Amino acid sequence: MNEGARESFDPEALARAMAPLLGIAQPPESRAQTIVHLRIAAEHAERLLSVPLDDQEEPAPVFTP
Amino acid sequence: MTTLLDGSAQAIAEAVRTGAAGAREIAEEALERIKSRNGALGAFTDVTATRALAKADAIDASRARGERLGPLAGAPFAVKNLFDIEGLPTRAGSKINRDRPPAKADATIIRRLEAAGAVLIGALNMGEYAYDFTGENAHDGPSRNPHDPERMTGGSSGGSAAALAGGLVPIALGSDTNGSIRVPSSLCGVFGLKPTYGRLSRVGVFPFVASLDHVGPLARSAADLALAYDAMLGRDEADPAQADMPAAPVSPALEQGANGLRIARLGGYFGGSADPGAIAAVDTLARALNAERTVELAHADAARSAAYLISMVEGAALHLDRLRTRRQDFDADVGDRLIAGAMLPGVWAAQAQKFRRRFRDEALRLFREVDILLAPATPCRAPKLGQKTFVLRGREMLVRPNLGLLTQPISFIGLPVVAAPVWTPGERLPIGVQIIAAPWREDLALRVAAALECEGVVRAPVAKYA
Repeated sequence: MNEGARESFDPEALARAMAPLLGIAQPPESRAQTIVHLRIAAEHAERLLSVPLDDQEEPAPVFTP
Repeated sequence: MTTLLDGSAQAIAEAVRTGAAGAREIAEEALERIKSRNGALGAFTDVTATRALAKADAIDASRARGERLGPLAGAPFAVKNLFDIEGLPTRAGSKINRDRPPAKADATIIRRLEAAGAVLIGALNMGEYAYDFTGENAHDGPSRNPHDPERMTGGSSGGSAAALAGGLVPIALGSDTNGSIRVPSSLCGVFGLKPTYGRLSRVGVFPFVASLDHVGPLARSAADLALAYDAMLGRDEADPAQADMPAAPVSPALEQGANGLRIARLGGYFGGSADPGAIAAVDTLARALNAERTVELAHADAARSAAYLISMVEGAALHLDRLRTRRQDFDADVGDRLIAGAMLPGVWAAQAQKFRRRFRDEALRLFREVDILLAPATPCRAPKLGQKTFVLRGREMLVRPNLGLLTQPISFIGLPVVAAPVWTPGERLPIGVQIIAAPWREDLALRVAAALECEGVVRAPVAKYA
């Protein structure tokens, strides 16, 4: 996700679309807070995805520090 | 009045072993203190008085028979209420879990502490489902910072830190997924050990984010952290994330001190994400340790973001059924955040797990050059209870998700850390510094903490009571 993608990201539309799929009934005040967290998550995703990873880089099957 | 309870578990055990004090006498005093102080602190949610007195009597009887007592004989301890305690529902800070049947057995590390002679005295307040850095709880009320009851303890192991700084117990257990041992340790001015990921058994502990969940001790001295840690070591086949590592005790190594260790402070992200008070605390430790180098852990900001996203997704997966059926019974601050986690693209979490391995490799490269890294534990001292946002370097941000922004990159790759409390002259509140070691080198982090404590650079006093 680049900055432009984040700016055009519509978290309200995502929340409205996903809630029925997840089977979660959300009143407006709850949705408003979820939208705040979706925006924050999008910022984190932008930061994470800015680090390029090779195709061969795999997660640890069982993570060992 | 200052009593043994204001001191260390080590001193209590010594007094019980020599007969200078009885385990029952200590347990009764701890119960009395809980009765008189807990209303103001909100640290305990359950008190296991009958069990504690029975255990204390058994220790006294054992001594009377001339039997050898354990290294924690008679030392009271309490656990964050996400640890199973036989006979109690494991509430994990929630309303929902109170409907669960009582636990049939104690968590593994509770059993191990009791085998070393420690006396379980109750369960401690925490942020709901451990998704919290404030120490506030919508159902049980907040745990309060003993050094200023109008301020946060930090979370999610808030009751654990409050019980220690309030002088109710000398040892408490907590969990740390993104900073939940180190944040409250910092805000309440106690020592906390987050061991290496996979070191201590998590069996009988209510989960949050399986990829990142750790358990560990909090205490008022490095020696007590080491004693508790040593007692809890050992293989537990029932924990799929536990590594098959030798159970090497660290207490005998504490006296080796910090001499000869290569110590550096973390710059970059860690220097730029803390207020001047937090940076000054790191300066204090760096000076005391002659740590002149500053090194950078590349991509620490991305590591924090990856941990953040993994927590959102795995936390949401854990709670999805409860979000569907009992959304209204969640703390709204927690439930709405978990719902957001359920809505995120799966590729973000997958990429975060791939990046985790890359970041681990970068950290291991750094540990070829240094033995210990220093970084602030929290970006600031304890915020006020109820405070929703704080300003860091000109940017306003939410308190609940961001008090852990300096701890998250470290637990993301499971490095062992001791959070050590610093009291800066002129300041009324403490703040913690992370003493970070390479994987499986808890001994080095504890040696440094013990050396600093010996020199008076870090300390964890009980809050003053009239």
